[in-house]
Amino acid sequence: MSGVVLEARNITKRFGGLVALKNVSVSVTEGEIYGVMGPNGSGKTTLFNVITGLLRQDEGKIIFMGKDISRLPPHARARMGIARTFQNIRVYPHLPVYYNVAVAALAKYRDKKEAHQETLRVLNLMKLLDDAWRPAGSLTPYKLKLTEFARALVLKPKIMLLDEPFAGLTPGESEMLIDVIRDLNQNGMTFVIIEHKLRYLMKIADRVAVLCFGEKIFEGKPQEAVRDKRVIEAYIGGGLE
Amino acid sequence: MLVKYIMVFGILYSSVYMMFSLGLSLAFGVARIAYLAYGALYTLAAYMTYLFFNHFHLPAYVSMILSVLSVSVVSAVINELIVKPALKFPVSILMSTFAVAYLIEDVIKNRMGLTPITLPSLTGVRVIAGVPVNEHWFLVLATSFVLLFLLYLFLNHTVPGKTLRAVAESWEESMIIGVNPLRVLRITMIIVGFYAASAGVLLSPLKAVTPNMGWSPLFTALAIVILGGMGSIRGTIIAAIIYGFVEQTLAWTMGSGIASIAPLIVIVATLVIRPRGLFGEEV
Amino acid sequence: MALNPLRRRGGLRWFITKIIILVVLFVLPFTGLVNEYWLSVLTRVNIFLVLAITFDFFSGTTLYLNLGHSFIVGLAAYSLAIFNIFAHIPVALAIPLATITATIISLLLFLPSIRVKGEYFAILSLLYPIILISIATTQPFSAYLGGEAGLMSDQLLLGCALKLSPEHSLFFLTTSYYLLSLAMAVAAFIILYKLAYSDFGFTLRAIGEDEELAEATGVNTTRVKLKGFLIASALASLAGSFYAAIKPPITTDFVSPDSILIPILTAVIVGGLGSIVGTAISSYILFIIYEALWGVFGVWRTVVYMLILIVFVVLKPEGIMYQLYVKARKVLGGGG
Repeated sequence: MSGVVLEARNITKRFGGLVALKNVSVSVTEGEIYGVMGPNGSGKTTLFNVITGLLRQDEGKIIFMGKDISRLPPHARARMGIARTFQNIRVYPHLPVYYNVAVAALAKYRDKKEAHQETLRVLNLMKLLDDAWRPAGSLTPYKLKLTEFARALVLKPKIMLLDEPFAGLTPGESEMLIDVIRDLNQNGMTFVIIEHKLRYLMKIADRVAVLCFGEKIFEGKPQEAVRDKRVIEAYIGGGLE
Repeated sequence: MLVKYIMVFGILYSSVYMMFSLGLSLAFGVARIAYLAYGALYTLAAYMTYLFFNHFHLPAYVSMILSVLSVSVVSAVINELIVKPALKFPVSILMSTFAVAYLIEDVIKNRMGLTPITLPSLTGVRVIAGVPVNEHWFLVLATSFVLLFLLYLFLNHTVPGKTLRAVAESWEESMIIGVNPLRVLRITMIIVGFYAASAGVLLSPLKAVTPNMGWSPLFTALAIVILGGMGSIRGTIIAAIIYGFVEQTLAWTMGSGIASIAPLIVIVATLVIRPRGLFGEEV
Repeated sequence: MALNPLRRRGGLRWFITKIIILVVLFVLPFTGLVNEYWLSVLTRVNIFLVLAITFDFFSGTTLYLNLGHSFIVGLAAYSLAIFNIFAHIPVALAIPLATITATIISLLLFLPSIRVKGEYFAILSLLYPIILISIATTQPFSAYLGGEAGLMSDQLLLGCALKLSPEHSLFFLTTSYYLLSLAMAVAAFIILYKLAYSDFGFTLRAIGEDEELAEATGVNTTRVKLKGFLIASALASLAGSFYAAIKPPITTDFVSPDSILIPILTAVIVGGLGSIVGTAISSYILFIIYEALWGVFGVWRTVVYMLILIVFVVLKPEGIMYQLYVKARKVLGGGG
């Protein structure tokens, strides 16, 4: 019943002289919420970029649902079921919210009618129907996050990678987002979440990994992470919230 | 026999190409802009030399130096008026520098006509290893090396130069350290203008000087920069050498017609086989 | 797409206004208000309009500036000449043949460059027309391609025109050209307008806004770009071969970036990138101004054009024509 959905095996990524990721391995089981923590520049977003295919790893493999996707282009991985959101929210600012989601749907579904139906369904789910025809650039940060969610959900993903979803949100909005994530998780969605704001990550993550300078220095329960010596040392520079 | 021609001219052309492709490499790598006006600056410098020499009757060397300085100023002006405001929208820079290039060329065309003009150059021919070479080439070679050395000194041993290199590596990190990107842009564009103009002043006497001649050097420099890898100075230098020899081989074996499409072949081949070039960042 | 409020704006009055304008345009030659010179200017405007909106359709949406757009036009023109002169195919038949040929060849040639990032593509695309020009004017190719003087192909409908009496033949010729060009422009406009605001059109725009994001969310950007390029170059080839058919000789003017590309860029910027309507309107206005400027500025009018382009690119890249159009629609149409 619970298998491994996503596995990053021994990922190494270099940029010129810098090693962004060094032999990082991560394994995410179905239905879990897996957190990724670490000070700035530790390679978290780079890991996401490698998993989704925006960057090519120098060494290592990405295995998704048992298949080696290491050489697949990003759009193929997205269609297979890996969805993601971005650290500094990325939408198509001049396009209406509707098309921000629909473009993804149209890429996935052969049948245009189905694509539009799915778009409406997902916009309804995220309560964005009223804003559907406003240009995405005019939305509040919280609604933009929901738009990113909608866009990710319309692809019927098996796993969602969220990059700092709570950044820029008020505490009230963060709680609402936690409910959204919990809801989806209870319906079977697997999550990998990069987050700085530990308070929220603690509330929802089943397991966390801690990266520091591109290496994984800890993996385990979130409560143990904050007590681990190496983790605390790593954060002295970055600051725990 | 042919090999000697290729060797000699390979060396000559490589050194010159090195000089003027470095200018473009700085524009791309440091300023991160597609400076399509590069060729027009090349042309402008040549025509200004002509003006200074023929209309104002200034000595040849003075004309040349004066045009290089003037065109550097022009490049700085273009940067202030056009590049800076257009930075918010990368596509704008492409279009505006493209338009500026044609603007300059059209102005030249309207004032000077389409007939090729001749520029002052060193006449006389020397024979090197059995190959007749225009004396002017020695001036070109000597000046190229001096300018290359100056650029090396600048980039490695001065603060603004090192800043330029840091920015070429990464804009974001440089800004964290406190670098002012607009100042860097300004300095870069002056240098770019300087090198485009120097190339124009030095090289153009060897060929027909027409208002449209700027595109060919631009594409050559472009091919070299792409081959070497955007943002990599080392790559540009090595690519210049490779390209110089390849082009001369083509020119001497298959004629200059085929050699003129060398830039296209190099660019397409690079982009298809290894888009980041020899030493560039991942594309 | 019932929800989409982007369509159906303007109401009935605006629709009628558009019909009236169209009718006026078609009836124009028969009113005697316009002489042959201006009819030929308007013919050229229509062709230019097609070139501008095809450019806008692909480059204005994806922001992959195809600076080699004039290459496609030149390719179509030269194909027409080759089919007509060397294969002895009548001009009317050669037009569709040249269109297809030019489209296929452009697609093949641009294939490697479309896979690359937008800025590289722009610079690379600039190479094509320059290379074509140098091929056409240097040996050994120039012998076949007419060199500077160009290739003298047959002129469309000339045979029919000559059968009429002298006063009528000129009128017949210019009017037929005008009507054909107008039909082509209207058809191209409708096709591209519908496509630019369709699902496909929005996908193109998404690529222009953030290509990496599109890739990451499932869009096969290479395939979408190629499709957009195909559509644009097919219609541009049509316009190019038509232009060659009515205005021989076919020289490198058809390829030259400054006579074709700069005016297109200006029209597209002033009209608003990605706005087919804005580009169409500014094509008309700018081209007519361009013609009128000849008297005032002579050779310098291109320079004036380029200054306009630079000013708009730097100060107002979103253009003004689209906003003006929306205002006009409000005033004239009464709708929202």
